[in-house]
Amino acid sequence: MKLLKTLSILLVIIVVFSGAMFALNLYTGPIIESNNAGAEFAPLLSVMPEGSAFDGEALIYSAENAGNSSLKDVPASVLSIYKEANGQGYAIRCTAESSYSTAPMEITIGISADGKICGIQIDSYNDTASFDFRTKDPNYLPSYIGQDSTLADVSIVAGSTFSSTAFKNAVSEAMNVLAANDMIAAGVKSDAQILEELIPTVAPGYTKLAESTTSGNIQKALKAENDTGFAYLITEGEATYLAVVNAMGVCKVYDTEGADVTTAHEAVATEAKTQAAANQTKYDEALATKLGRMMEGATEITAIELDTFNTVVAAASFKLGDATYYGFYSRSIGFHQMDVYMIIDENGAIAGMDAKQFIFDEEYFMAFGGMDVTAYKQGFVGSTAETWSDDTAVIATATMTSNAVKESTKDAFASFNSIKNGGEQ
Amino acid sequence: MKKTKTSYLLRGTPSALLVLGAGFVMASSADIRAALGMGAAVLAALLLSSIVISALHKIIPAYAKMPAYLLIITGFVSLISMLMEAHFPIVVDMLGVHLATLSVSAVIYRDAEEVADHNGEAYSITTAIVTGIFFTVVMAVCAIIREVIGNATIWGQPIAFMQDYKISAIAGAFGGYLVLAIVMAVINKLTGLHHHEKEEKECK
Repeated sequence: MKLLKTLSILLVIIVVFSGAMFALNLYTGPIIESNNAGAEFAPLLSVMPEGSAFDGEALIYSAENAGNSSLKDVPASVLSIYKEANGQGYAIRCTAESSYSTAPMEITIGISADGKICGIQIDSYNDTASFDFRTKDPNYLPSYIGQDSTLADVSIVAGSTFSSTAFKNAVSEAMNVLAANDMIAAGVKSDAQILEELIPTVAPGYTKLAESTTSGNIQKALKAENDTGFAYLITEGEATYLAVVNAMGVCKVYDTEGADVTTAHEAVATEAKTQAAANQTKYDEALATKLGRMMEGATEITAIELDTFNTVVAAASFKLGDATYYGFYSRSIGFHQMDVYMIIDENGAIAGMDAKQFIFDEEYFMAFGGMDVTAYKQGFVGSTAETWSDDTAVIATATMTSNAVKESTKDAFASFNSIKNGGEQ
Repeated sequence: MKKTKTSYLLRGTPSALLVLGAGFVMASSADIRAALGMGAAVLAALLLSSIVISALHKIIPAYAKMPAYLLIITGFVSLISMLMEAHFPIVVDMLGVHLATLSVSAVIYRDAEEVADHNGEAYSITTAIVTGIFFTVVMAVCAIIREVIGNATIWGQPIAFMQDYKISAIAGAFGGYLVLAIVMAVINKLTGLHHHEKEEKECK
């Protein structure tokens, strides 16, 4: 009886409160749902114009359910795409990651119906704090506002090249998705922009381009900060061309289609070579001196002009006894500027390597677990382009420097192949 | 401890009551908004459960009181949580799981068992209101100290000239205990004076 009474009392209390909660939920349920929806869309609303709204049907693409979306050519960097309810545009969440990021940056971009960026923010930044481009240039993010998919007026932040390049590429990819799926009008790139965007393809050795002196028909001059050459936008008649001149003075001319038109536009090439010659540092003597030190008894050191546009700034052939060797001086960018020297024998095998930084920055390299520089350099000897492995260049805990040495090694092999294939000028 | 009707707070020192409620005081006193939100929740839970329990305590048999009172308190805390989540979602986010743990709060249960169970509605309501206000004031004082010194903000807004001088440890658990201990010491001192006077009068 006692138990029954207890249970009855508890049951009554449970029923009464259950009923009260049910009734209250009829009132609070819709409000809570609306609050939750607002919380989900708050980051999106912050990049959209005032008066924008997102409803339950806003999500039109999610990387987690990519197969259910009708959108095509969506890159992996795009996480989700939302359509604003009043036709004011789209919000995109995407990621950006450079080679040296510890984790991707998370970005939210607002794009108005006319195809221009109306808002942009970084939701999560995981790169090294000292490389944060927002502190190096507080005006960098605002420079994206009003840009169309060409991002014509957006540059890279000096000192944060890798992360700002990754950021710009991610934004460009996100906007290109909308353009490719006819959701916004694609921006029209100017000839100058198209030609400038060709530079990394035709001259991969050029890093950190900075504006340089112009003259005559040269509309824009860019100098690679690692001194591997120049890039010029030169007008001839109604058209504009890209002329790249490497550190050895060899020039190639390209049109907006990316075609090599050097032969047809010799005047453009001549003007570019003349301008470059007046401003380019020559490295032949430095290479010759270095080769004499690395290979005692080297004779007939002869400079070679190559038509490669990588990090090799000087090349030379020399004799040691009856054998012929080729020396290459590469200026790649690691944690700082690297000066790497590579000697390759006539069979394509590395006969010696050195880097100025091993001598002058000894403390820097000794910090990496007491690096045995002699053994490191010896590890390269005998390797050919086919047998050489990236692991040979690895310096423990020095990823950027390791990558610079790898790049120099590959460029030396490429330059050697160019000589063998008749690329010598 | 002798039960008297003149002491609306725990018969003993109010700082002892704070020990019972240290959990939610600590959890909600890092931000003034959270402190006021928790204070309102505590006040509402105390008031509503006191009213119902004092009205029903004669009907509920002794052996069923504990589960019944817990159910009543939990029910009211759930209803209050639903209302707060609808109208004050930011505060609910700040309080997190601590709002739900009011259901098993020793302070509310103490009020139910020692006050509402033995007294009429009027006294129970008064005790509940006084206890609720006491906690709200204590939490607000702790929150102001911790938020200003620990986060250099007030009501979530940054205090510009203090940004370089904030002591982050004060905003954390260590700071919570420290500030609560200081507040308890002050309350002890103030109420200790009152109790000494009362004891002297009773002895005479």
